Amino acid sequence: MSELSVQLAASLPDNSAVRPEWLKTLRETGAAQFRAYGLPTRKSEAWKYTALGSLERTGVRLPGAAESTAVDGATAAPLADSGLRLNMLDGQVLAQTGEPADGLTVLPLADALRFGVDGLQALLESLAEDNPKTVRGQGFSALNSATLEAGAVIHVKAGTDAGKVALLWSTTPAEQPLLFNSRICVILEEGAKLELLEQFQSADDNANTSNVVLQAEVAEKAEFRHIRFQQESDNAGLVTRTEVSQHAASTYDYYGFDLGGGLVRHDLHTALRGSGAVSALNGAYLLDGNRHVDNHAKVDHHAPGGTSHQYFRGVAGGRGRAVFNTAVCVHPGADGTEARQSNANILLSARAEIDTKPELEIYADEVVASHGATVGQLDEKAVFYLRSRGLSEHEARQMLTTAFCRSVSEKLPDAALAEVISQRMMAVMPQSE
Amino acid sequence: MSTMLKITNLHATVAGKEILKGLDLELEAGEVHAIMGPNGAGKSTLGNVLAGREGYEVTAGEVLYYGKNLLELEPEERACEGVFLAFQYPVEIPGVNNTYFLRAALNAKRKYRGEEALDSVAFLRLVREKLKILHIGDELLHRAVNEGFSGGEKKRNEIFQMAVLEPTLAILDETDSGLDIDALKTVAEGVNRLRSKDRGMIVVTHYQRLLDYIVPDKVHVLADGKLVATGGAELALKLEEQGYAWLEDGGIASLEAEAATQAANP
Repeated sequence: MSELSVQLAASLPDNSAVRPEWLKTLRETGAAQFRAYGLPTRKSEAWKYTALGSLERTGVRLPGAAESTAVDGATAAPLADSGLRLNMLDGQVLAQTGEPADGLTVLPLADALRFGVDGLQALLESLAEDNPKTVRGQGFSALNSATLEAGAVIHVKAGTDAGKVALLWSTTPAEQPLLFNSRICVILEEGAKLELLEQFQSADDNANTSNVVLQAEVAEKAEFRHIRFQQESDNAGLVTRTEVSQHAASTYDYYGFDLGGGLVRHDLHTALRGSGAVSALNGAYLLDGNRHVDNHAKVDHHAPGGTSHQYFRGVAGGRGRAVFNTAVCVHPGADGTEARQSNANILLSARAEIDTKPELEIYADEVVASHGATVGQLDEKAVFYLRSRGLSEHEARQMLTTAFCRSVSEKLPDAALAEVISQRMMAVMPQSE
Repeated sequence: MSTMLKITNLHATVAGKEILKGLDLELEAGEVHAIMGPNGAGKSTLGNVLAGREGYEVTAGEVLYYGKNLLELEPEERACEGVFLAFQYPVEIPGVNNTYFLRAALNAKRKYRGEEALDSVAFLRLVREKLKILHIGDELLHRAVNEGFSGGEKKRNEIFQMAVLEPTLAILDETDSGLDIDALKTVAEGVNRLRSKDRGMIVVTHYQRLLDYIVPDKVHVLADGKLVATGGAELALKLEEQGYAWLEDGGIASLEAEAATQAANP
């Protein structure tokens, strides 16, 4: 284990007084796993292309009791009209703005653990990692479980439309960079609807790392739309994991936008457990400088008649490094599944690097599946076409890379939000070299 | 007034192979010249060299555009100076809206000339006006540049761009290829409406039929990298009758003689 892992393991909280008992067990299991394996290393297949050197160099540590009680902090304005808003500072709910719609309950996780929320215990317990093959790569989740307390619970009652909820994430700059853990639990009962916007932003000098796990239980016919937008500072770390469990005829739509961050890792996983579930995972990542963005998307089809589409676009310039892994597994019995994966990347610099890997496993019948992963340069024919009409070479290239990324944002059903995100992407678009 | 375009002894290579082998051409403002010739004669190379496409290397000769050396300008500078190439194969650009693209192009040109950028309202007014002149609908405006366009729509879009950008020198590279007769007529009518005393046009085509609708002032025959014959509109008809086979049969002299006669007795 690295020195950093040893230090973090030594500073894990004492769980002896934690109640209820199941929570104590969860935390202790997480702690035991973390003590055994520590943070993931490149020896683990899932972390092959992502080293944690930057965290080790800054010696990030867990916040002490005093530091974890956030009191103040400027939070960026939401990208779009957001309905209910939670300011998530240092992993905790700092403030709530707006009135929740009928059927929507939003609570800080600590309160939810104390008072109990339907389905919460089962949801938290479902994350427990017992696969000996992959447990080594789950150090961040183990750490998150070992410190489980900060975060929020979003619960939507059966048959109700909760509208929009925004989580505005930020951290307080600290002299010694901190590692904040937080857990978001989303529970959508039968036929419930929710649009969740997660927005991560930090100021330039911020070198903290956030480790956020989001778990969602999407019941029959429920619809969960999830938008994740991050524009962290070049020094900040962001490690997130999204675990979605979908039941029959439910929908999970994801739109992810990585525009910043020094070290970024997102594990996105949805499991289609009920028949006829539908999932569309879309994302764009734009990086230059020395930024490192690693996205792992995985869909498990467990039930018949499910549909999943993955559509990811990446642009890397400078010394940017993008890692993209898309996996689909169609398990026995998931007959009649349709699974499509598409990942295309543009390299704008000789020093940038993109590693993309599609994986497809099929153990069922009558499956329609396709996958494609490409890394290339801009279409020079198109560059010339635009120049022949009077646009400078720079403008032509900018227009083409922007269009490439807009193909993701324009999938958002909310045209106003799509436009705001497109503008943000244009503002940080890596340049050709 | 100086000649709009003066090409002298132009030699150009593509991937190391010489395609243009000493081409001479003069075009005055207000004129429409047709360049005809068999496949592989260098017709498209001429358009691409004039527009400044990479990979087309000029090894000798010069191209003067109102006395200015066109070959030393970047493609976008040529465009801003008023040169326009209507592509034989217009490029599909997914994700870039046609109207957005055209406004950016027009404003780049206006900026080059020191003029104010047009805002979207003024631009749309201009676009409506041009659509009306060309008698085409606005359905192409809302789509991505050429994406999923039929052959006819792509060519119509080229003519529409030409109408909006108002070039001084337009080169139409096999604009008729792949068009059925109705699409051909629409495109030709568009071109005719854009003829003006200040504008020169070079219409590059393999077939005579386009010239039934766009009547050129001069017809040139391009073969093996050179203009081998020049005449009036009748020369095109002659080519239609006899095909290009006579080029290999040593019939050049007879055609040249005929062209000379026509030039003497117009």
